[in-house]
Amino acid sequence: MTATHPEQDVQQYPAHFEPPHGSTWRLFFGPGLVRGAWMAGLGFLLGAGLVCLLRAWWGWDPVWNTEVVLVVGAMVVAPIFFLAGIGSFDYWLYYIAGRPTRPEDHSGHGAYSWKDYFRVNTDHKVIGIQYLVTTFVFFTVGGLMAMFFRAELAQPGLQFVDSQTFNGLVSVHATLMIFLFIIPAFAGLANFAVPLMLGAPDMAFPRLNALSFWLLPIAGIMFVASFLAPGGAFGAGWTGYAPLSEGQPLGQTFFNMGVQWAGASSIMTALNFLVTIITMRAPGMTFWRMPLLVWANFTTSLLVVLATPFIAGSQFFVMFDRIMHTNFFVPEGGGYVLGYQHIFWFYSHPAVYIMMLPGFGIVSEVISSMSRKPIFGYRLMALSLLGILVLGFSVWAHHMFVAGMADWLRVPMMITTLLIAIPTGIKVFSWIATLWRGRIHLTTPMLFALGFVTMFVIGGLSGIYLGSVPIDIAASDTYFIVAHIHYVLFGGSVFTIYAGVYYWFPKMTGRMYSERLGKWHFWLTFVSFNATFFPMHYIGLRGMPRRVSDYDAAFGDLNLFISTASFVLGASFVVFVYNMITSWVRGPIAESNPWHARTLEWQVSSPPPIFNFDEIPQVVGGPYEYGVPGAQHAILSPTKQAAAQEEVHA
Amino acid sequence: MVRKGIVQLVAIGVVIGIAVTLVAVLFQWLPTSASEEFDRIQDIYWFATVMSIVIFSLVAAVVVFSVWKWRVPPDDDAEGPPIHGHTGLEIVWTAVPAILVIVLGIVSAFVLSENGKASDNQLHVRVIAQQFAWKFEYGDYGKAESGELVLPVGRQAEFTMEAVDVLHSFWVPQFGQKMDAVPGIETKILVTPTRTGDFAVICAELCGLGHATMRAKARVVSQADFDKWIQDQRA
Repeated sequence: MTATHPEQDVQQYPAHFEPPHGSTWRLFFGPGLVRGAWMAGLGFLLGAGLVCLLRAWWGWDPVWNTEVVLVVGAMVVAPIFFLAGIGSFDYWLYYIAGRPTRPEDHSGHGAYSWKDYFRVNTDHKVIGIQYLVTTFVFFTVGGLMAMFFRAELAQPGLQFVDSQTFNGLVSVHATLMIFLFIIPAFAGLANFAVPLMLGAPDMAFPRLNALSFWLLPIAGIMFVASFLAPGGAFGAGWTGYAPLSEGQPLGQTFFNMGVQWAGASSIMTALNFLVTIITMRAPGMTFWRMPLLVWANFTTSLLVVLATPFIAGSQFFVMFDRIMHTNFFVPEGGGYVLGYQHIFWFYSHPAVYIMMLPGFGIVSEVISSMSRKPIFGYRLMALSLLGILVLGFSVWAHHMFVAGMADWLRVPMMITTLLIAIPTGIKVFSWIATLWRGRIHLTTPMLFALGFVTMFVIGGLSGIYLGSVPIDIAASDTYFIVAHIHYVLFGGSVFTIYAGVYYWFPKMTGRMYSERLGKWHFWLTFVSFNATFFPMHYIGLRGMPRRVSDYDAAFGDLNLFISTASFVLGASFVVFVYNMITSWVRGPIAESNPWHARTLEWQVSSPPPIFNFDEIPQVVGGPYEYGVPGAQHAILSPTKQAAAQEEVHA
Repeated sequence: MVRKGIVQLVAIGVVIGIAVTLVAVLFQWLPTSASEEFDRIQDIYWFATVMSIVIFSLVAAVVVFSVWKWRVPPDDDAEGPPIHGHTGLEIVWTAVPAILVIVLGIVSAFVLSENGKASDNQLHVRVIAQQFAWKFEYGDYGKAESGELVLPVGRQAEFTMEAVDVLHSFWVPQFGQKMDAVPGIETKILVTPTRTGDFAVICAELCGLGHATMRAKARVVSQADFDKWIQDQRA
């Protein structure tokens, strides 16, 4: 499972990192997972010691308060020490301490063996793969949780788990899928593709990029570890509404703090994308020549940077209420319960677009290159992303139509919500217009892209129902919502992630995946996805609320059907994993541009050279100029070409 | 040739449209309404459904038709025509959805306002929600209270919601109305029952361990039966 680079690369960059083998001292004290492990332990002891010391000093009883010790020791100090241990801060600490630093040190850049994926690596291509593999691990965990509670829901009554465990499974499932799969999987794909598409050698801040990745497993482990906490995992839903979340057992703290780490990771990556896209475009790469994936990640990053602090705030307030006895959301103390929902959704609605816009970008790339046609209405496609960005901040309260908020707020929020259908509609119609008269190659990424377009239309249309306040009043908090979000986030986001992974697989690994298994994967997923989630619209409207471990026996047969279909959906993922692993190990060697794509990442070898381009390319045209005679997106070696022309003229 | 293609596209669209319409009408997606409010909501539901059927059929038809018509074998190296856009089309598919959603918005705002209009002869019910039970107080009749919701048919009831501990949500699927009970504030919702029958009050907002079982009986009865019942509660 290694993506080794051609021999000459190694020789070209002889100063590459030497793994610290042989020397025990370097194993324990050199940057790496071993140092990270013992330093995390040390950090926990320091944090716990500090808490107990202070509590003893002030005479608080008991001295050992598990929740406070865990928050400070295990969820703040230990992760920071872990990051220091693996070497995330080495360069900055050297700089702060006045020790000699090597700004152009590339020892932590690139992957020469599989071990290089398990350390702090500054290569955006390695980080992209680290992101993807990590997120798919958490996708598996979150998916297994879904299988587990679908088994529970196959029959009315409680069979396998108690209600706290059920609530925990549902909550952790959603949290993992959102914070550890969809958001970071897009970050991973963009990490790999965006610098290449821009003609840049890497991201603007490679060390920050590495740090953002390593924050992610910390968050993921916290969410999963909450099951080990006394009282069980956090069970107030991924929305963690106060005051329920404030009275939850210890596990809730794992959510409060895990979100901070995942959020910090998102913000750092988004800043990095923004600076990279603004400052590191190759000469000639104007904004109107950027591929739509770059546009999508530009708008997404703006959303992340502006919105994510709000969820961080909402979770800190809940945690303060829990352990510091503040009264942010405690009505008896003057707190305002609906305040939580306003702050939470001010992030979490834009988050829906954070989970959608990068997918729009991926689908635009895939549909254009698989139809061998320019994207239809390129500028309007980019502008509609900006339209969604702006409108996306003005619709948060549509999640609160039945929450008891101020009545006058409902109609304005309904209007802005419905208006989002316009830019979204432009995108859908432009994709299908791109197909029109194209030369359509029905490869696996294209199947997922087309599956996305149709499923996302269903999700968007059920969104229109929910945008209308009176229908929402009837359908809110029911399985109709569960159906809607899965059409948007699974039929939408996850399908685009699959499309992206298949599309860039040959570029990432240098090998080709099995097209036959890819098609099996698509059709199994497509059919079982619909069989699982479409009936949920029905049971929701008929009267089954969401987030229940037990339900009216009248819904028994349909729930059994849904559960059975969901197991097939789970099984279809096995086909994907098998395809990915076997193809990565021994798939046929891929060409540099199997899709005849025009964007820059396809103009270099597969996998790309360690610094992407031998020479910074000169961009001379749009990214999708199919069918235009003589059109070019970029000149790859501008000085060489200029020299050649000089010769001709001479 | 072009005309033949258009005919085929329309035929595919019609087939998909019929199939989707059958799915929409053969199953009874909504519970039979038991309130005036839900009657109005169902009208918008059907408006949105017709709109959805048309849009979905259009998109699905173009996708299916394009793939069927213009699919090429993997080794095909040719490129499609360099069509970069079409201003007229782009204006159409910006304007038409805009008109549709604005109409839907206006209709919805109208229904919302109708469903919020208080009538003269209201029955006032105070709903007290706590983990994991409902209590209904009938302030118009002294200290009458009950664990079961009983309403007279044809008379508008105004529910005032109060939560003792965490968020709950008052929902009777056949009434089509729902409102959270929020600690610290009072929330209100109106229901005008239109038919007698037995229903269930369901908690729709996750409220903890017993959330799934937080239910109460709801009965809509004739005015005479209601008067008799309320006398029993006061006694």
